[in-house]
Amino acid sequence: MLEVTSLFAGYGGRPVLEEVTVRIEKGRLVGLLGANNAGKSTFIHTLSGVVPAMSGRIVFEGEDITTLSPQARVERGIIQVPEGRLVFPDMTIRENLLLGGQHKLARPKRSQRIDEVLELLPRLKERLEQKAGTLSGGEQQMLAIGRGLVAGPKLLMLDEPSLGLAPKFVQYIFEIIEKLHREGLTVLLVEQNLNLTLRHASYCYVLERGRVEVEGASSIVRDDPRTKKAYLGL
Amino acid sequence: MSEILQALAQGFLVGSTYGMLALGMGLVYSVSGIVNFAHGDFVLLGMYLCFALASAFALDPYVSIFITLPTMMAVGGAVYYFLIRPIAGHHLLMVIQLTLGVSLLVQNGLLMSFGGQFHRAPSMLESKLWLLGPVVVRVPQVISAAASFSIAIGLFILLRSTDIGRSIRAVHQNARAAALMGIDVGKVRMLTFAAGIGLLAIAAALLVPGTPMHPSMGLRYTAITLIVVVLGGMTNFVGIMLAGLVIGISESLGTIYLSDTLGMILPYAIFVIIMLFRPQGLLKSA
Amino acid sequence: MKPAFFQALRNPLWWLLLAALAMLPLGLPSYYLHIATLTLVYVALGSAWNIVGGVGGQISLAHSLFVGTGAMLASAMLLNSGINMWVGLVVAALVSGLMGFLIAVIDFRFKLGHLSFALITLAFAEMGEIIVIGWDYLGGASGLFLPRDKGDFSAFQFGGGEGAFYVMLFLAALSVLVSFAILNLPLGYYLRTIRDNENAARAIGVNIFRNKALAMVISAVLASIIGTAYARYLTFADPYLLSSPVLTIEIVLMATVGGLGRSMGPALGALLLVPLGEILRGKLGGVLPGLHYFVYGGVVVAVILATPRGLLPLIQERFARLRGNAKPEGSVASSGA
Repeated sequence: MLEVTSLFAGYGGRPVLEEVTVRIEKGRLVGLLGANNAGKSTFIHTLSGVVPAMSGRIVFEGEDITTLSPQARVERGIIQVPEGRLVFPDMTIRENLLLGGQHKLARPKRSQRIDEVLELLPRLKERLEQKAGTLSGGEQQMLAIGRGLVAGPKLLMLDEPSLGLAPKFVQYIFEIIEKLHREGLTVLLVEQNLNLTLRHASYCYVLERGRVEVEGASSIVRDDPRTKKAYLGL
Repeated sequence: MSEILQALAQGFLVGSTYGMLALGMGLVYSVSGIVNFAHGDFVLLGMYLCFALASAFALDPYVSIFITLPTMMAVGGAVYYFLIRPIAGHHLLMVIQLTLGVSLLVQNGLLMSFGGQFHRAPSMLESKLWLLGPVVVRVPQVISAAASFSIAIGLFILLRSTDIGRSIRAVHQNARAAALMGIDVGKVRMLTFAAGIGLLAIAAALLVPGTPMHPSMGLRYTAITLIVVVLGGMTNFVGIMLAGLVIGISESLGTIYLSDTLGMILPYAIFVIIMLFRPQGLLKSA
Repeated sequence: MKPAFFQALRNPLWWLLLAALAMLPLGLPSYYLHIATLTLVYVALGSAWNIVGGVGGQISLAHSLFVGTGAMLASAMLLNSGINMWVGLVVAALVSGLMGFLIAVIDFRFKLGHLSFALITLAFAEMGEIIVIGWDYLGGASGLFLPRDKGDFSAFQFGGGEGAFYVMLFLAALSVLVSFAILNLPLGYYLRTIRDNENAARAIGVNIFRNKALAMVISAVLASIIGTAYARYLTFADPYLLSSPVLTIEIVLMATVGGLGRSMGPALGALLLVPLGEILRGKLGGVLPGLHYFVYGGVVVAVILATPRGLLPLIQERFARLRGNAKPEGSVASSGA
């Protein structure tokens, strides 16, 4: 579904990512691991089109999207749930969900999708008219995922969904992700939390200083000594 | 007693127009963080467009809105696209200096085109008066106030309950997250700037009956607008309308009970005091 | 005082330039002498403003207050109270300095941000203009006509034309010298530190208030003195020219075109824009009033879009590249020199 080939990307002319090649098959839950500053967020932002690619190719469902605008990528179903949630704090939960589905391809199915999201995440349903800024971190993460789902994702990319959450919320969020995956959604999970990701993802990439250091089935990545090395920054 | 009622009515009517002038600036500031020091010169541009249409085709200022509104929106869009967007990432001061340059361009463009004498563009309704008990009001001012409040309410509804309105608020609250929702942030900024200047076309047409125009009046409109926006809390539209009324009423009370000079100073003095002791504006910013 | 300052003073180029300027009146027809004098007025005002606006990074829109005080108050004291204009100059300069100090107090006491500072100073300037126009002692809306300049030095008269040119040359040189000195004094270093990062400046123990207030007072006093001399030169203290915020905006824009925060930046801006504007006004002013301001506006917009730091850094870099050494004056590098 997604093929990234020899991607270089970064800020101000200096590459953060060097020659990154990643493949995501339809229906898989793929993990992208790495320590802080390994380039995980840059990668996900390059896929969203917020950070431009310097060279390399990004192909999504057979179409070269390397130079498409962020809007065009959202319309093709590449949806990011950003790190730190980034919900719109002065808007209600309902308004946040509506915004998730405001692009022109999502609009016709928007209210139906919102109903589905509220069924999946009943906590949001009780608080529909509450300002998003007043929610707890875990609730905001649910809202961010819900907002992403209303957009009608074909590929859902989650950037550090467990960051800063209480353990019971982390578990709950991962159950939701697992459930979405079982229903057939393709998911790219970007995480620092090694064990959690290896447990849920079937295939993983490990980034170190902007390069793919290890890749393979989760069980193989788990046992590869380079994985630990990439994490400890040795 | 009737004198104070008259002053209050007058201040209310003028103040609601100030509020409308300020709505456009607040809207632009909220999504782009731009303070446009050429704001008042665009008001004058709108007024002179009315004058030109009145001289050439004998159009009533109220009718000419149908021509000036799209024209001014196009001008606003072009100014944003060609002048402001290229330096959008720069320091706020750079944008202030740029818009000061634009102010000179517009002001003196008008002076070159229309000359330095005062002009008027009369309306059929210009000299109509209404008597409300002891209070006499001019019909154009009543129209202006009614239009200002209608526009404020319309803007409020637009921002609350439409997709474009929610997109505007999303860009204001977090531009990056908005881009991730598939919102074209650059387009939203350009459209709001165009709309902000477009609002001035309406404001100008409402001001024209009874207000003689001169190219040099722009800076004072800019100053009054800035005052109202800041008092209103920059992005709070209810606060902005309220601040417009406060400034309008204080100006008219000051002119009657103090002197012309002190009356004109009063809004600035109130501004400085509120700015110092309540920098977040009259209402809490929402 | 850093050695760079004395080095520059010993540089014969500056003295040659000054001498050449001093020779100007000998060969110049009076119309061009007028343009030269006017240019010097703006060189002086721009350099004075630059101390606060460029070096300190605070967009003050209040400078018309100081120029207006220097012009209107000193003229009013002469005409309405019979006080010698030299005394008026000193009183006005003191009043301006005090106003500058109060603005600095307000700025510090209420921790104004950049935008608030620009807005509050604009509000003060608007109030100032309204007061001047509404107060008969200061001439009201019709302004004040000064007695003919008979060249009586003790009465602040310089004999018009040439005399006024030399007065303005002195003030322009003084203003440039003061801002150059400030750039090379700890004051200039502190101001730049505050401009670039106020919190960092506070953290290393820079006294924010003292430095900002000092800059503002120096700038205000200079502007006021220039204002008095300018009114004398025009023999007509026009409130709509001398106490209007538009004057400040003109100064700000000239400084921006030349290059903010460098001692010669505002001078360069004035040297380019004033003669250009005046010649346009002279040739086409009757046909197209406002053309010269229109051109100012166009130049400002073009310069900001093309080279946001102004023309001087651009020129210096070109020269430095030509001569193969790269260290333009006034850049960050010179603060450590």
